[in-house]
Amino acid sequence: MAILEIKHVSKFFGGLAANSDVSFQLEQGMIMGLIGPNGAGKTTLFNCITGYYPPSRGEIVFDGRRMNGLQPNKVCKLGMVRTWQKVRPLAKMSVVDNVMVGALCHTNSLKKAREMAMEQIRVVRLEHRTDFNAGGLPIGERKKLEVARVLATQPKLLLLDEVMGGLNPAESEEVIQLILDIRRLGITQMVIEHDMKAIMRISDRIVVLNSGEKLAEGAPGEIVKNPEVVAAYLGSE
Amino acid sequence: MTRFSIFTNRRGASPLALIAFVVIVCLLFAFPSLVESPYSRHIMVLLFLSTIMGESWNIIGGYTGQYSVGHAAYFGAGAYGTMIVMNASQFDADKLLELQDLAKDSRLSSLLLSAHDLHPWTGVLVGMVAALLLSLIIGSICFRLRGPYFVLASIAVAEIVRITVLNLADLTQGAEGILISTLPPLTIGNTVITDFSNNVPFYYIGLLLVLLTIFVTWLVQNSKLGYFFQAIREDQDAAHSLGISLTFHKNAALALSAVLTSLAGSFYAIYIKFVDPTTVLSLDLSVQIVLISIIGGIGTIFGPVVGALVLVPLSEVLRSNLIGESLISSGMVNSDSAFGHFLTENLSHAHVLIYGILVVVVILFMPDGVLGFFKSMVAKKRKEAA
Repeated sequence: MAILEIKHVSKFFGGLAANSDVSFQLEQGMIMGLIGPNGAGKTTLFNCITGYYPPSRGEIVFDGRRMNGLQPNKVCKLGMVRTWQKVRPLAKMSVVDNVMVGALCHTNSLKKAREMAMEQIRVVRLEHRTDFNAGGLPIGERKKLEVARVLATQPKLLLLDEVMGGLNPAESEEVIQLILDIRRLGITQMVIEHDMKAIMRISDRIVVLNSGEKLAEGAPGEIVKNPEVVAAYLGSE
Repeated sequence: MTRFSIFTNRRGASPLALIAFVVIVCLLFAFPSLVESPYSRHIMVLLFLSTIMGESWNIIGGYTGQYSVGHAAYFGAGAYGTMIVMNASQFDADKLLELQDLAKDSRLSSLLLSAHDLHPWTGVLVGMVAALLLSLIIGSICFRLRGPYFVLASIAVAEIVRITVLNLADLTQGAEGILISTLPPLTIGNTVITDFSNNVPFYYIGLLLVLLTIFVTWLVQNSKLGYFFQAIREDQDAAHSLGISLTFHKNAALALSAVLTSLAGSFYAIYIKFVDPTTVLSLDLSVQIVLISIIGGIGTIFGPVVGALVLVPLSEVLRSNLIGESLISSGMVNSDSAFGHFLTENLSHAHVLIYGILVVVVILFMPDGVLGFFKSMVAKKRKEAA
């Protein structure tokens, strides 16, 4: 069953088409990789899906419901939540408070939110940082915090925008394991990533964007052999 | 890791801090019977007033991070609401006849006539409702904007309120202001609580309002609302993506802050017994309200208390030229010398300038406020000791 359907979505900024006529579907429980050169429109697509911009054309259907025009907070309550390419910790709040903000999305009790938050902090292995200020964490832990926070909102679909960006190989490996752990929890994921090795390893299916258009879609094995994709990345005659 | 939790925005107060708080509150309740001088009570009332204003602003500015520089509007709403109703309740027969005449043409005059029938103290409620409505209108306009644009809009809207009050002379007596010579006694049922024969009742009203605002702030900090306010302060886009409605929570914070600020305005009005647009609706006052919180330390329960403790005595000492006078009277400086002349003639006139310079110094060197500064000092000492 498709949990998310992107139907002919276009987004124009003035005359510039950041996305044009993009369509694809996400199946329940899968990990979808979203790749493409810089400026291909990956983050714009995330913004359209999560309600930061209304799409100029087309339709976004999540869990059988049309999402166009819904505000990000509504989108989150319905079970779809994103992380940010540039991490956005709530700097002057502690790690556990950060995650509690996510957990309070579905509960009014601080006590319950705290329990839920601790659970997610254990999932991302940040227990040793519980009471630290989020602003003081190194980048690797900030990325994990970001993931814990969105997990606490109990999402059905997680959109991860370059969670491995700026991480060293050991940290990247941890995040890869984390993404695989999250799949085991039954949460569908869409992942923007520049690290090709990583994305090929974790994705069940990959969509390639180039200049705002969908260039290719398929299993990782097919994508690497696709001449158009290779041309888009390496340039061609 | 120990910390002064009652002074921070974390959960749970340490028993020591809680005991200290209770002891201080008990001392404050005993203060009027311990210290006789009316002047000391006057200073305490000013302290309370500043604290109430600072705590109220702290909810929208400190916790939610929306720097409203238009809080004079809500302060004025409370002050004017209280004074208009109280004044109307004291109209004599002649004034009433005159109003009945005017009421045929002027809605405002008929409004005053109906205010005559209200209990004089309901003006406080009227002020609160006015502030609430005003905050919802201002919020719906200004919260479309972010950061510095919001600040500018909040100033502009407060100016609109000031000019409106200035021109609705039928209701507000315009630039002349409203003066009340005697306050009606405060009663519950038929029991007279106080007739305001001295300034002790104001002291207790102020103290109770301070405790109320601190309690409200504590409630906010320890609730879902507080978490959401702070999330909006730290990063509103992130907060939005985590399911927080920005519009609802910003307006809720502003409304709460506005209603508490209107209480400060009402308190000011009954204490001074005079309001006019330049004192209760000016930009100066809006800035003053912001300063109390920022100097003390924003986003903490006791920051505004510290801010008031710093600013009120500072302004009082500078205004009365206490330092200059005492230097001369103690014989350390000859009043005929150039320096003595400077102290008596120039310095006393420059008190606002000095006040301004000191405020700038505090903001430059203590970006987290006085409370934040001392907290980080303590943390540093601890680190060195460990």
